[in-house]
Amino acid sequence: MAQTLAPAPGGPLGFGARMGSMRRSPGFQYRLQQSAVDILAIFLILQVASIIFSLADPGTFAFTSTANLLVAFQTIPLLGVVAVGVGILMIAGEFDLSVGANYLFSSLMMAQIYQDYHIDIWLCAVIGLAIGTGIGFLNGLITLRLHIPSFITTLGTMGIWEAAALFFHGASSQVFTPPNSFMVLTNGSFGWMAGEMVWFVGICIAAWALLQRHALGNHIFAAGGGPQAAISSGVDVFRAKMIAFSLAGGLAALAGILAAANVGDVSPEVNSTIPLEAIAACVIGGAALTGGRGTVLGIFLGAILLYWIQDVLLLLSAPGFYLTAFVGALVIAAAVMYQYLQARRT
Amino acid sequence: MDQAAGDIVLNVGSGSTDGMAPGEQGLPPMLLELDRVTKRYGNMEVLKDVSLHVRKGDIVGLLGDNGAGKSTTVNVISGVVQPDEGELRWMGQVKQLTDRRASAELGIETIFQNSALVDSMTIARNIFMGREMVGPMGFMRQREMREIASEVLKTIVAIEGIDSPDKLVGQLSGGQKQAVAIARAVHFNRTLLVLDEPTSALAVRATEALFDYLRHLRERGITSILVTHNLFDAYRICDRFVAMAHGQVVLQAKKGEVTVDDLVEVVSRGRLSSKEEREAAGVPAS
Repeated sequence: MAQTLAPAPGGPLGFGARMGSMRRSPGFQYRLQQSAVDILAIFLILQVASIIFSLADPGTFAFTSTANLLVAFQTIPLLGVVAVGVGILMIAGEFDLSVGANYLFSSLMMAQIYQDYHIDIWLCAVIGLAIGTGIGFLNGLITLRLHIPSFITTLGTMGIWEAAALFFHGASSQVFTPPNSFMVLTNGSFGWMAGEMVWFVGICIAAWALLQRHALGNHIFAAGGGPQAAISSGVDVFRAKMIAFSLAGGLAALAGILAAANVGDVSPEVNSTIPLEAIAACVIGGAALTGGRGTVLGIFLGAILLYWIQDVLLLLSAPGFYLTAFVGALVIAAAVMYQYLQARRT
Repeated sequence: MDQAAGDIVLNVGSGSTDGMAPGEQGLPPMLLELDRVTKRYGNMEVLKDVSLHVRKGDIVGLLGDNGAGKSTTVNVISGVVQPDEGELRWMGQVKQLTDRRASAELGIETIFQNSALVDSMTIARNIFMGREMVGPMGFMRQREMREIASEVLKTIVAIEGIDSPDKLVGQLSGGQKQAVAIARAVHFNRTLLVLDEPTSALAVRATEALFDYLRHLRERGITSILVTHNLFDAYRICDRFVAMAHGQVVLQAKKGEVTVDDLVEVVSRGRLSSKEEREAAGVPAS
């Protein structure tokens, strides 16, 4: 039974002012404080601008064309699903640079097992997810048990799983021809919505429920925002971080599986920009590089915004490496901005 | 109690634990006792035969310079480290505190300076951090948590600048954070608050407010241990003092049995001057 104290005259702390209104809706201020509102405003402004340009000159800037939107709905989730996992891990105060290698290795193993051994595709998908989750779990175990910074651990495991993909499969692409039922669920379309996008939205809703409504979400925020305070309060920081590492790994694997179904094969060549792009999407969405802060809505919009920038660059016929440079600069700018704000606060 | 050669260890009045049964002489019952606690890290003995006690409703000042052993003593009390020798008694019963959770279950809450709360989380989420009210499948009962958080803030503290439990803790001042952390501990029925340097980051007004709050809690039987360098603050608020130096308790005294000058001397020198030394220096004995 919780104990409450009767109010002392003027308040025991004696600062004079009484408590203000408590009538705001639950979490209203909290949502405002979590930066997703900022990113939503920027997102909407840029989308509207792009649509206006596209309508004004559809010949050279086909932003609203059906083909462009279809590709967007199929491509955004591949980064977005990875970014959700990376974002949860960032909120827990850790990084995973091995998500690109994990994305490749898990999907490659799934495709190879399915094609070579003709095992049920759903079982193969579960194996792929288990491999990805296991890689995340291992990252967590090494990081937390051996007290190594997670970016060092995952930089190392990134190389290991890249090499493992080549070791187990060789340099040739792995064909992946799953049955129709699998294709419908992963790569089909639901009305105007691509299957991948449905997965992305569903995962975002689940991640939101976890972070904002589940006790584990509170522990993940606490583990990243103030591990000492969390431990003092009885939070099992190790458990919270291990679950975050595992989720990051599992979601990287899921993105790889969705990509494999989309493309129809798996190339053992790692897309080395995936981790950086995933971190950038989270940073754009308001996640702090130092942990404890971030929203799923922000990550969702960040992933879309990052793709949108890439799309605009492509539509403007700019070289692809512009985006790579942009993403790199963005992450540095975010770190500089954070230092600046910290300095101002102190 | 061992003492270094030449040191004067004072156990003044009720400060002595020797032969003192809980609740005797009409005193409040004994809450916490450390009896001959020794802690070593490798060859270094950081606590040497430390004995001290805390009675229910006391505000005890745990004083000492850097390296005196205060932090290790706090860590023993809060279950962060386990003593190599000696024992800890809670309400007269020997307890093994294997971790912080074990101390929290007894009713001990240690509030460390600047690390009691998570800045990036709301007040409500901080209050329930690690003790969330959950429903089916571990989902939080957020409405209830928020309502209780509002009540905790309303009934325990009235702090300028806090108008909602949805406010981020990072937006609070040092005093406000301390108050919220204490309020949380009180709400969860903690009977012993161990406050690590609670006033070091506070302005004078905030310190006064915090002390008023601690006095208010004392009236309700809540016991506090203040770990502090600030002897003047300690002298104003504490009922008893335990001074440490070089890993040993060098003074235990009630307020009124020592002066603030005595505290300064014992903390800075590790001992009180003998009567002869004082007379030689022309200082009146306290």
